[in-house]
Amino acid sequence: MSIPSTLRGLIEKRGASHTVEGHITACAASRDNLRFAFTTAEGDVIVAHRADLTEPASWATYAVHDGAALALAPDTDPGGFLTGGDDGRLCRLDRHGEIEELSKTRRWVEHVATHVDAKAAYIASASGKQVELRDGRGETVLKTLEHPSSVTGIVFDSKGKRIAASHYNGASVWFTQPKSESVRPLEWKGSHTGIAIHPGGEALITSMQDNDLHGWRLSDGHNIRMSGYPSKVKSMSFSRTGKWLATSGADVVVMWPFFGGGPMGKPPVELPGMGGALCTRVACNPEQDMLAAGFADGSVILIEPETQRVLPVCLHSGSAVSALAYSPDGCLLGFGTEDGMIGLVDLSAG
Amino acid sequence: MSDAPLSSEPADTLVPVTVLTGFLGAGKTTLLNHILTAEHGRKYAVVINEFGELGVDNDLVVDADEEVFEMNNGCICCTVRGDLIRILGSLMKRRNKFDGIIIETTGLADPAPVAQTFFADEDVRSKTRLDAVVTVVDALNFLQTLKESPEAYQQIAFADVIILNKTDLVDDAQLKAVEDAIRKINAFAPIHKAQKGNVKLTDVMDVGGFDLQRTLSTVPDFLENTHHHHEEDVNSISLTIKTPLDAGRFQMWISALLQEKGADILRTKGILNFEGQPDRFAFQAVHMMADGNSIGPWREGEAKESRLVFIGRNLNRPQLRRGFESCAVS
Repeated sequence: MSIPSTLRGLIEKRGASHTVEGHITACAASRDNLRFAFTTAEGDVIVAHRADLTEPASWATYAVHDGAALALAPDTDPGGFLTGGDDGRLCRLDRHGEIEELSKTRRWVEHVATHVDAKAAYIASASGKQVELRDGRGETVLKTLEHPSSVTGIVFDSKGKRIAASHYNGASVWFTQPKSESVRPLEWKGSHTGIAIHPGGEALITSMQDNDLHGWRLSDGHNIRMSGYPSKVKSMSFSRTGKWLATSGADVVVMWPFFGGGPMGKPPVELPGMGGALCTRVACNPEQDMLAAGFADGSVILIEPETQRVLPVCLHSGSAVSALAYSPDGCLLGFGTEDGMIGLVDLSAG
Repeated sequence: MSDAPLSSEPADTLVPVTVLTGFLGAGKTTLLNHILTAEHGRKYAVVINEFGELGVDNDLVVDADEEVFEMNNGCICCTVRGDLIRILGSLMKRRNKFDGIIIETTGLADPAPVAQTFFADEDVRSKTRLDAVVTVVDALNFLQTLKESPEAYQQIAFADVIILNKTDLVDDAQLKAVEDAIRKINAFAPIHKAQKGNVKLTDVMDVGGFDLQRTLSTVPDFLENTHHHHEEDVNSISLTIKTPLDAGRFQMWISALLQEKGADILRTKGILNFEGQPDRFAFQAVHMMADGNSIGPWREGEAKESRLVFIGRNLNRPQLRRGFESCAVS
């Protein structure tokens, strides 16, 4: 193992790490901020409780999928998680560690997303060309959304009114409301491989096979192009106010401005990097003007965009960061690497 | 993607991928099951298409969708298989579960997008290598298929290895006619005769179709002087230069050539002797997409010469020869 015996950075004093078997495919916090889950390519889900943050020995491992766990989302229930896998199953792992199969298809379940607010709760999962939209319990399929080719990403808008899916030659935007059947196709030739939506609903952004980003201004469908990356953009995250879109794909964190008319014709802002290592994951803090970035050398850093100040979380852990996420309260940061290292840091004051 | 990046990825850490092509009924799935059930102690991940003729007996089987799309690089023949990019990416997260990957294509599929996927996508390229395109040919029906389907030409042209199957169903004269027809299109790929897919595994798997040593060292001489085919037919041309090549000049020439003629040139392969380089350089291209890497020192007694093979339509031999010769150090 190339993982050094001691990791340098915030993780020394404020967190813990642990190495499990398999590539870490995703990580996410539960809605109640009390649990953090990591999924692996071996089909396992590792759950750490906030109370046991610094005691990895007490983090629980659940064998959920036969084959890789490909997708992870917080459950609509505050304490649980939803996962999708190679085995075609959409599963719920509840707060008690019970595993419930919500559906099973012949295709890989590659994307899972959830939305909860005072009025409604939805679960969406993508498998092949289909997206299934379910109620918050996950027992009833409200809609099956058909796409012209395989779906490569799904996202709810911040109000849960719309769900958008990326695929070849563009993206499709659907209303979640049951009575509406219509789809808004957003077309742009090429292979779109991931999706993000502006928190204020101003724009929909996709990452593309050809090392760039495409976007549509949602008010009028105007096309936005953002290019110049040396590699594919695999991770995108809007800042909490929607002013910036942070992205991976270069040896620095690349941020596109979404104010004062949007990113058209403007150069992006480049935040610090890790001395040449490719940025592989980004996550904006949902509560503060901070963002986290993971790199190909296994480093994770926090950056304050305004001052460009950098705070190391974990330096040079070895293999590329493949998962990175904040808890909704912005106090927990979790990450995972291709070699199976998982880390969790408490960022709350005190 | 007109420039030919002359990279040098360490080839031995990459997962070998075998692509199985052939018309419906040629015996692809039989061959696949033969490979999977043979005693080789190796585990394969298998990517099949949903219209497979027979069931596949393997632990790790993935359904593919044959989703072909064009790269946005302004080059019309630059099509790749998006589903394979996703599938290979996911499989590589479980690298420890298998020794190799086999991709079965549908009978009518053009192999170009599959092969180009291994050039076009950075993630696929950094973790896997296309070991060989294996084309299964039905000895009984091939001549008829060739008349009816242009895809059959493509499948033969793209082959690194050809399995001539069902040889028990034809007489010697027809077998000869089929072999001749194959040779007219692809003069270089070794042909292995088989019945019910019973080939030696070493003929199909890990052949290093792009370690062209064997293929290129057996280039038949008759190619050098015959011209009995129509121009629009797919055929092969082989060129040899004994003088070492200038790497920069070669790259400029081949890039410009593939940019201009890449639609007609289906495959390009070569073992090259660059001046000042102790190692052999393997070059390969599918249409306009090119790649290359060092493949170790020249062997004992091996002639240090550069060989280049083109398979395609409308190949202008004198022009190609002059171009290749202009890359020699002066």
